[in-house]
Amino acid sequence: MATTPRPRLDPRGPRFGAAITASVLLTVVFLSLIGASVAAVVLLAALTALFAWGALAGAGRHPYSVLFKKFVRPRLAPPTELEDAAPPTFAQGVGLAVTLVGLILGLAGVPDAVGIAAAAAFVAAFLNAVFDYCLGCQIYLLLVRFGVLNRGGRTLENV
Amino acid sequence: MNPLEAIGLLLALLAATTVLGLIWRARQGLVASGSGDVIMPADVASSIAFGPAATLVQFSTELCARCPGTRRLLIAVAEQRPGVVHVDVDLTHRADLANRYSVLQTPTTLILDGSGRVRARVGGAPNRADISATLDAIAQNTSRPLTTTPGS
Repeated sequence: MATTPRPRLDPRGPRFGAAITASVLLTVVFLSLIGASVAAVVLLAALTALFAWGALAGAGRHPYSVLFKKFVRPRLAPPTELEDAAPPTFAQGVGLAVTLVGLILGLAGVPDAVGIAAAAAFVAAFLNAVFDYCLGCQIYLLLVRFGVLNRGGRTLENV
Repeated sequence: MNPLEAIGLLLALLAATTVLGLIWRARQGLVASGSGDVIMPADVASSIAFGPAATLVQFSTELCARCPGTRRLLIAVAEQRPGVVHVDVDLTHRADLANRYSVLQTPTTLILDGSGRVRARVGGAPNRADISATLDAIAQNTSRPLTTTPGS
């Protein structure tokens, strides 16, 4: 598994993006709480589109990642190590799933779903940004264990 | 809801999430005593023979941000100690192994003594000092089960 060449990222990039995402998600929760349902849905839709971008194009090509490379990384010390782009990309997919459910329910006339989905996504984004917690990694393992992913025991490679 | 109440709720959400993060971080790399079961290389589909002194069995998946760093750390620890071997078990296609060893997070590391007995279990990214202390304890006494939790 160590031999597969995959895109590698400065690990601070996805955390920088998660910090912006967490702030916007908190704004969505606020708008939803004060009853500004339309504004909340519009903002959540924008976030859903950004998650889709990150999930489909890869975490390294996310707009926040581009911002990070252009404006933030030049001001920081070089990264001590690079990380695989797959976990943050999967995390974008998890964010997409959560916000999409909230968005669909919101458009279907369940305005509370917008705030609840935004709050759930906020928890994950905040833990990622502040504590470097990888919810995607956790969910991936659980999906493997429940047999949702990678059914069938192929031979495994040890390093 | 008026804006003031909404801000109060947001602060509560922020506080609860912070507490969650602090708890998670405090638990990262904690060394718990092992089950005492004996594991053979074939049990974890390892083609590498286990170490005569101790073995660090790391469970990873291919989608795990902290597994590569953990692998580097454990390989470095194993290289410094004669008779200690590091084995990385990829659970990506082996849900059966993840279930058998009740792996709830990656990386999870089992520390085996020379006879393959599970002496300690480390959840999350380990820290070098705790791994070294556990290996020291195993080296000093290979017959008694490890009950203490060194460091944190």
